[in-house]
Amino acid sequence: MKILYSLFSRRRFLNGLLAGLGTAFAGTFVGPVVRFVTPPYREPDEVKLPLAGYKDMAPGEVRSFPWGIKPGFLKRRDDGSFLGFVGVCTHLDCNVAYKADQKKFFCACHDGWYDEDGRNIQGPPPTPLRRLTAVLEGEELVVRKSEA
Amino acid sequence: MSKIAAWFEERLGISAVVRFGAQKQVPLHKHTIWSYTGSAILVFFGIQVATGILLAFYYRPTLEAANASLERIMTEISFGWIVRSIHSWSATFMIITVFVHLVSVALTKAYRKPRELTWMTGALLLAVSLFFGFTGYLLPWDELSLAATKVGTDIPKAVPVVGEWATKFLRGGDDVTGDTLSRFFILHVTVLPLVLLLLLAVHVYLIQKLGMSLPLESEIRGEKAPGMSFWPNFVAREAAVWLVLLGLLITVAVLFAPSLGPPADLMAPAPEGVKPEWYFLFLFQTLKLFPAKVGFVSGETIAVLLIGLGALALFLLPLIDNRPETRKGKIVAAAFLAFLAYALGMSVWSLL
Repeated sequence: MKILYSLFSRRRFLNGLLAGLGTAFAGTFVGPVVRFVTPPYREPDEVKLPLAGYKDMAPGEVRSFPWGIKPGFLKRRDDGSFLGFVGVCTHLDCNVAYKADQKKFFCACHDGWYDEDGRNIQGPPPTPLRRLTAVLEGEELVVRKSEA
Repeated sequence: MSKIAAWFEERLGISAVVRFGAQKQVPLHKHTIWSYTGSAILVFFGIQVATGILLAFYYRPTLEAANASLERIMTEISFGWIVRSIHSWSATFMIITVFVHLVSVALTKAYRKPRELTWMTGALLLAVSLFFGFTGYLLPWDELSLAATKVGTDIPKAVPVVGEWATKFLRGGDDVTGDTLSRFFILHVTVLPLVLLLLLAVHVYLIQKLGMSLPLESEIRGEKAPGMSFWPNFVAREAAVWLVLLGLLITVAVLFAPSLGPPADLMAPAPEGVKPEWYFLFLFQTLKLFPAKVGFVSGETIAVLLIGLGALALFLLPLIDNRPETRKGKIVAAAFLAFLAYALGMSVWSLL
């Protein structure tokens, strides 16, 4: 069948084709660039600490350790086992401090408070501090990401 | 001499620009004083470019060297302390002038048809200016700048869908690290200047194309304001203002040089009493006030969405306020004033 009237002029068709191809061509660069500017995640899966540095902790005591490039905290439970926290505020990512005299974690950025078990108790933090599991393996204390 | 001038004139045709400047009329009315704010911003921006280039001769954007290189600029390099002080204070002066410029245009409703795009490019210029301030704040790499950047780059995370990616992009990873510092430096010294100049070109072109606005009242009455030639009469008056501002800037920069804290430690807790730059204080206080949960949603998400909505409303103000002479126009003006009062009140509160 012969089409009597064209909806498109040849010029418009060619311009559209060229613009479309140009956009598609430019678009192929977007993906790689987007991936280039966001590097992969580098939080450690586990951190091994010499037990010697933490053996003498009294029940209830809290001590810091390096969780990759973030601060981490270890708390000695009453039964002698360890509980780990990532020492980063769940509100807007500031590093928290442990206030031993009040048995609380404190974030100075927006006045956020957590109790000694990392539960958010006051101020803007929406969730508890992230927990880590710490298990004894020989003379090493191995801190891992919690499953839960 | 005149032969050389003629040679250049034949090729460049500069006299056309001078003629345009002489023909351009600056209307004289009770709001003319606000016309001085635009060029004052340009002066401060020029100072930022000049002092920024000087600082970059010695500054090193790496985790290990950044803080020390700034210390060197301030203690060893001749006039280093005042170059940094002027860069820091000129930023503040520029942002203040930008705010005055914005408020004057908003309250005189100079953004009304056909100047909507002039306002919108202006709003984008404000965003770029604030981003300049935000990226520049990290570069000294001390305790305060680290905490401020951690918070500032974490805020986009609360935005649905694209938030996570935006935070990752800003930080160059999941956390603020040396990669963030390199990234902020390169944004601060190459990307943002280019974007700003591009927007500025459109902004200034539109002002030349559309001419200066008249007050709403005189436009309604169909009055014509008396005018003054832009070149050289108005520029001469502006130059007097520039000199006063320059004197003020240098005085403040000499008397109140900014300090430099100890190098940032990624492991250290955030320092107590941490605060962002003064122009972010009202956002800071807003984030502090929002509770952890509002219903089922996190308070942070609501705060960030409200802030985003406010920014969008500001950008689209000329389209929202499309009938400025009617009752609706008065309501928009009142809402704008209420927002100003909120921002001022929150800023003052955060300092108490």
